[in-house]
Amino acid sequence: MIRYLLLAVIALGTAFPFYWMVISGFKTNDEIWQFPPTFWPETFLWSNYVDAWHAAPFARYILNSTGVALAICLFQIVNSSMMAYALTHMKFRLKGVLTSLILVGYMIPSTAVYLPSYLVLSELNLLDSYTGLIVSNCVSVFSIFLIRQAFMQVSHELVEAGQLDGASHFRILWTIITPLVRSSFAVMVLITFIEQYNNYFWPMLITKDPDLQLVSAGLRSFFVEGGAYGLAWPQILAASAFTIAPLLILFLFTQKTIMQSVNITAGVNKN
Amino acid sequence: MRLKLWRESEAVLFTLPALIPLLIFWLGPLGYIVYLSFTDWDFMSPDKLFVGLDNYSYLLTNSEFYRSLKVTLLFGLGSVIPTIVGGLALAMLMNSRIKSSGIFRTLLFSPWVTPTVAVSIAWSWIFEPEVGLANLMLGWAGVSPIGWLRDADWALVAVLIVTLWKSIGWAMVFYLVALRNLPSDLLEAASIDGANSWDKFRSITLPLISPTTFFLSIILTIQSLQAYDQINVMTQGGPAGSTRTLLYMYYQSAFESFNVGEASSIAVVIILICVLLSGVSFLLGRRLVHY
Repeated sequence: MIRYLLLAVIALGTAFPFYWMVISGFKTNDEIWQFPPTFWPETFLWSNYVDAWHAAPFARYILNSTGVALAICLFQIVNSSMMAYALTHMKFRLKGVLTSLILVGYMIPSTAVYLPSYLVLSELNLLDSYTGLIVSNCVSVFSIFLIRQAFMQVSHELVEAGQLDGASHFRILWTIITPLVRSSFAVMVLITFIEQYNNYFWPMLITKDPDLQLVSAGLRSFFVEGGAYGLAWPQILAASAFTIAPLLILFLFTQKTIMQSVNITAGVNKN
Repeated sequence: MRLKLWRESEAVLFTLPALIPLLIFWLGPLGYIVYLSFTDWDFMSPDKLFVGLDNYSYLLTNSEFYRSLKVTLLFGLGSVIPTIVGGLALAMLMNSRIKSSGIFRTLLFSPWVTPTVAVSIAWSWIFEPEVGLANLMLGWAGVSPIGWLRDADWALVAVLIVTLWKSIGWAMVFYLVALRNLPSDLLEAASIDGANSWDKFRSITLPLISPTTFFLSIILTIQSLQAYDQINVMTQGGPAGSTRTLLYMYYQSAFESFNVGEASSIAVVIILICVLLSGVSFLLGRRLVHY
């Protein structure tokens, strides 16, 4: 019983900042600057949400983020599965080198190489474009890991049987193996989508055009410029709330799959 | 022979779609940044001036660098240890088939899914010194208000609170999986032998979940070295450099002061720290972790 209460308090406490964000978004400017703060707004000012939505192109930002994230997912499905297939079901000389390269890649923070990657993108004339953003994110060591982990569970005899039937590696990969590990692909896509939708640092560095901004960068510029640094708090909090909403809804519907990522990643360290 | 060559080249073909971007955007830049750290450049001038180890010797005599190193260390310890301890504690609380544990798990895990920028904005409002929720709650406990993000003594604590809020539920889910996989007969046998809960925890549970602890500490350390979003939104490294980690200093010297050489040398230090930590953890893992 005590456990139950303790957990309930901690869980509600964790969710409270979300409640606070949503509820404060409804307050009038006078009420939000009142101390002690009110836990339920005196009047619900729906117009804050409408104002915030129109004060900056949030619909566009959300669409930008969604589109870029989906494109990145698509690329990662293809190259992660091909790489994972080669690492688990093909024999070749560089296999060991590649495997350890990817293990090391997992250890070195990508943020540390943002400066040279920025210069590379500028050499390729891909700054300030979605192409640059998508291409530079189209491989993830983590995704390769995840898929490799799943492919290792597939018996090698299945692949050999396919080869005896004269099927090419491509065919074996797409018609035999991929359908078997669908759930791992679902995990990979969800995790990648969430990560890319939330991505801030790298997109902010390489896209300067306001029309190209992703949702986090757009929200942040609204916070700094449009919101005049904290003078229009109800609108800022309203904007934060509708930035978060799509992800919380996605999470509510797919949480089983997202939590599965833990099962798979936790297995990584055993190899 | 020809068949072998064909097999070899087919495998290469399969790895290329991932390998090419990895070379262009990861391995290449890794080499490039080491080279840049030996130069003096401002993004603009046509030539990169080769200066040898100057950037490093400047860094090692710069008190700002040591300060950032200290902030990075404090941020690392302050985020990794409480996340692991907190995550394990929550998982233990939840492990004994509690009613509606699914709802608790959802609530506790939700911060991890949400964009750091958006939640950091909401937290900045909570930390508002005059009318913020944080100071209201301190008032209930009879503690006088704190300047939080505006106070050099407290800003790092505030940033850490947000970081912990985001990651403890995530760590908890890892531990829930690990605890579920514990062999129940072993724990029962210990109970029959008269071991109390603490004994069982210390001599059975803790060693058996050590791979999870090990894995989490590596991932969380790397994450702490990469922390940027919450610092950028809440404090921008301030006040008075109290939240400027090495990564933040790197970002500022590259993209605010346009000092490519210095920035690159900071990045190389960050990478070296990672390599060092992975090496140490690899050795430690072999000795201490029970699989």
